[in-house]
Amino acid sequence: MIMHTPIMMTTLISLTLPIFATLTNPCKKRSYPDYVKTTVMYAFITSLPSTTLFILSNQETTIWSWHWMTTQTLDLTLSFKLDYFSMMFIPIALFVTWSIMEFSLWYMNSDPNINQFFKYLLIFLTAMLTLVTANNLFQFFIGWEGVGIMSFLLISWWHARTDANTAAIQAILYNRIGDIGLILAMTWFLLHYNSWDLQQMLALNSNSSSLPLVGLLLAAAGKSAQFGLHPWLPSAMEGPTPVSALLHSSTMVIAGVFLLIRFHPLMETNTTIQNLTLCLGATTTLFTAICALTQNDIKKIVAFSTSSQLGLMMVTIGINQPYLAFLHICTHAFFKAMLFMCSGSIIHNLNNEQDIRKMGGLLKTMPLTSTSMIIGNLALTGMPFLTGFYSKDLIIEATNTSYTNAWALFITLIATSLTSAYSTRTILLTLTGPPRFPALTYINENNPALLNPIKRLTMGSMITGFLITSNIPPTSPPLPMMPFYLKLSALCATALGFLTALDLTLMTNKLKMKNPSQVFKFSNMLGYFPTTIHRTIPYQSLLMSQNLALLLLDSTWLEKSMPKTISQAHITTSMTVTTQKGMIKLYSLSFLIPLTLALFLMM
Amino acid sequence: MNPLAQPIIYTTMITGTLITTLSSHWFLAWVGLEMNMLAFIPILMKKTNPRSTEAAIKYFLMQSTASMVLMMAIISNNLLSGCWTTTSYINQPPSLMMMTALAMKLGMAPFHFWVPEVTQGTPLTSGLLLLTWQKLAPISIMYQIHPSINIHILLTLSTLSTAMGSWGGLNQTQLRKILGYSSITHMGWMMMTLVYNPMTTIFYLTIYIILTTTMFLTLNLSSSTTTLMLSRTWNKSTHLAPLMAPILMSLGGLPPLTGFLPKWIIIQELTMNNSFLIPSIMTIMTLLNLYFYMRLIYTTSLTLFPTSNNTKMTWQLENTKPMPLIPPLIITSTLLLPISPLLLTFH
Repeated sequence: MIMHTPIMMTTLISLTLPIFATLTNPCKKRSYPDYVKTTVMYAFITSLPSTTLFILSNQETTIWSWHWMTTQTLDLTLSFKLDYFSMMFIPIALFVTWSIMEFSLWYMNSDPNINQFFKYLLIFLTAMLTLVTANNLFQFFIGWEGVGIMSFLLISWWHARTDANTAAIQAILYNRIGDIGLILAMTWFLLHYNSWDLQQMLALNSNSSSLPLVGLLLAAAGKSAQFGLHPWLPSAMEGPTPVSALLHSSTMVIAGVFLLIRFHPLMETNTTIQNLTLCLGATTTLFTAICALTQNDIKKIVAFSTSSQLGLMMVTIGINQPYLAFLHICTHAFFKAMLFMCSGSIIHNLNNEQDIRKMGGLLKTMPLTSTSMIIGNLALTGMPFLTGFYSKDLIIEATNTSYTNAWALFITLIATSLTSAYSTRTILLTLTGPPRFPALTYINENNPALLNPIKRLTMGSMITGFLITSNIPPTSPPLPMMPFYLKLSALCATALGFLTALDLTLMTNKLKMKNPSQVFKFSNMLGYFPTTIHRTIPYQSLLMSQNLALLLLDSTWLEKSMPKTISQAHITTSMTVTTQKGMIKLYSLSFLIPLTLALFLMM
Repeated sequence: MNPLAQPIIYTTMITGTLITTLSSHWFLAWVGLEMNMLAFIPILMKKTNPRSTEAAIKYFLMQSTASMVLMMAIISNNLLSGCWTTTSYINQPPSLMMMTALAMKLGMAPFHFWVPEVTQGTPLTSGLLLLTWQKLAPISIMYQIHPSINIHILLTLSTLSTAMGSWGGLNQTQLRKILGYSSITHMGWMMMTLVYNPMTTIFYLTIYIILTTTMFLTLNLSSSTTTLMLSRTWNKSTHLAPLMAPILMSLGGLPPLTGFLPKWIIIQELTMNNSFLIPSIMTIMTLLNLYFYMRLIYTTSLTLFPTSNNTKMTWQLENTKPMPLIPPLIITSTLLLPISPLLLTFH
């Protein structure tokens, strides 16, 4: 009997145990964070045989559902869909979370509320897994909102800091705009298909309306920080680094892309939506790559890098390759989480310094961190046969050979070269060169709680790509033959970006800095997007409401439109009539003219 | 005025009006008008200050111009129809000229500019005669030519008079000017139904004369010519102060006072002839009239303007001014509405 389903459900349920432990009053022999971390580790270990069994038994999907409640027309079930996507994602998510929790043991060591922190991380993980295994949109929405709320709570972890609070609200607002799309889609599906079950929706693809798909696209844009709804992601770096590593690089932000992947049979047939997705993704990836070039905060650079990769995933969905997008999700989680953890290690060791202009010379003083960072960046840019290569290169090949919007594909290539450019800049400024931090900084990376996760994820960044691609079932038709230069295009673009960035940095880092040019300012100010939109929209709304409530209603309709106008008219007329000059000539004239006029008119 | 000249002048004035009303030949009608005008000029100049002189000259010029145009109309009517009788039908061009000339004599808009100034320049009793007696002769002529009057011109003149009278009176504090503008407004009302039912015109004229006479004589009693002087009525003749209120409200046309009756008749007459917009406009414009009467009531009856402690209580002293007919006039001008069927049968 195939046991993968009960084993996986055991995994999922065991994750909720530490949460319930906080509701009772346990006597803690060990520390609670350690307990949580160990739970997640065991969950990961139990999920591995489950996934292996699933893949080797060549099954399609297993659905485990309980009937929850019935409204008049709708049956709500708790149903867990364990198919290729969720089974692949769960071990990866658990592995990354385990590593991040161990890292947090070191990073948040001095925080008095560390128990609460771990509880929040665990609740987040539960919500994320609910989202991933959801078979109907209701459960999906529960997970969706859950990750949104946990993101809010975790970004504003240091809530005494105003920037953290504004960033958390910003995240909620932008996600809410995306939620409008999701609710639109849910309503449309409920009205037209009378069900929220994925099986029914995907099978009934009879209606060729774009409305639900537009809703889903909006939801994905909100959650996955696509262009137009993107500013919350760099602002979310106000949260602690483990939060950035878990939520805003590996798991939460891919929820939007995951939604589109789940609905890919509906999107296959609708070319408008595919076009929209492609263009949106291409715009995002290029724009955020441009913004990442001139940022000075190391976490923001990695955040923009995440945003750029999310755009790339959108592009992949736009060219109708959902399985490649999913592959990129899985591989991206490893090296991005690791990049965040290395950043966290650097930040903590340099006494909370986040500006890369004040780092440098860390190659010798923090060897493990800097090695992992370089490996992570190489994986990100798609160095052959590291993890990122297996997904990213396949994506670039697919884009080069697909018969769609050439402009979108072109700017994706440009974004690829910019990826390696900013990665190079990061490495050169943080790790090489003379140290630019204060001299008596106590740098030390001897804690195993710091080192083990980084080591694990480094191994992951190196071999996971190979492992995954050689063990998964074939999921899409193999790519057709392409010319040699097309095959090498990704590599050439990357190498071009790397060499250009290297050359420019080494040439100019001894020069005096001039006044920044317009292009620099565009890139540094994030394209002026936050500065304009965040003020303009609330200001216009408030101005309109003030005008409507005060000017339009009180002042105009109730006062000026009738009473004041009438009284003013009469007063003016009265003054006109009574100002007489008293000249007889005028009076005679006033007699003559009407008389002649009347005579002529009446005759 | 010289007591020897006074009876001659007054007699001439009365005779002129009588000649005009009783004649059937156009020339005699015109003669009557001229006699009336010429005899009236010295009455205007009872007080010999430059303002009275100016008022008299303005009156003379306006009225003589109107008389000349009237003469031209009479002659051209004879040219066209060969008729000298006032009761026969008049052709359109002469009728138009006649009507404008008579409107000028009456002081209707747009020929109304002389009315406030002349009224202001003369003493109160001359003003009374100006606004009441001088209307009789032209209206009698208009009554006789009413079948041939062009309705459009007449309605235009009437509506314009109402409007001008109302707007003009808003900006005034001199009582004689206020009464002048009120006369313009009432002329407008009067001429509305001349074509439909001239009896209503005469009825309105009657009530109007009663009201205006009451008003002028009351003002003459306290010899107040500005609003400020009017506000001292409580001191001069205390019983008269609250009586100003119903007189003025009647003049403004408030039911259940007399002044409402002629307006009611006119509106009824107009609506019987299917015109609804014009009476509505006129009524609404006359509200402004009522407003400035109310302002006078406010200063007279409703508030007491501050005076110093040692003001003389003038009402305790005996009044030597002659007060002819004020009580019956007040009663007539406020309480006539219940017997309106009796009044209407006379017309």
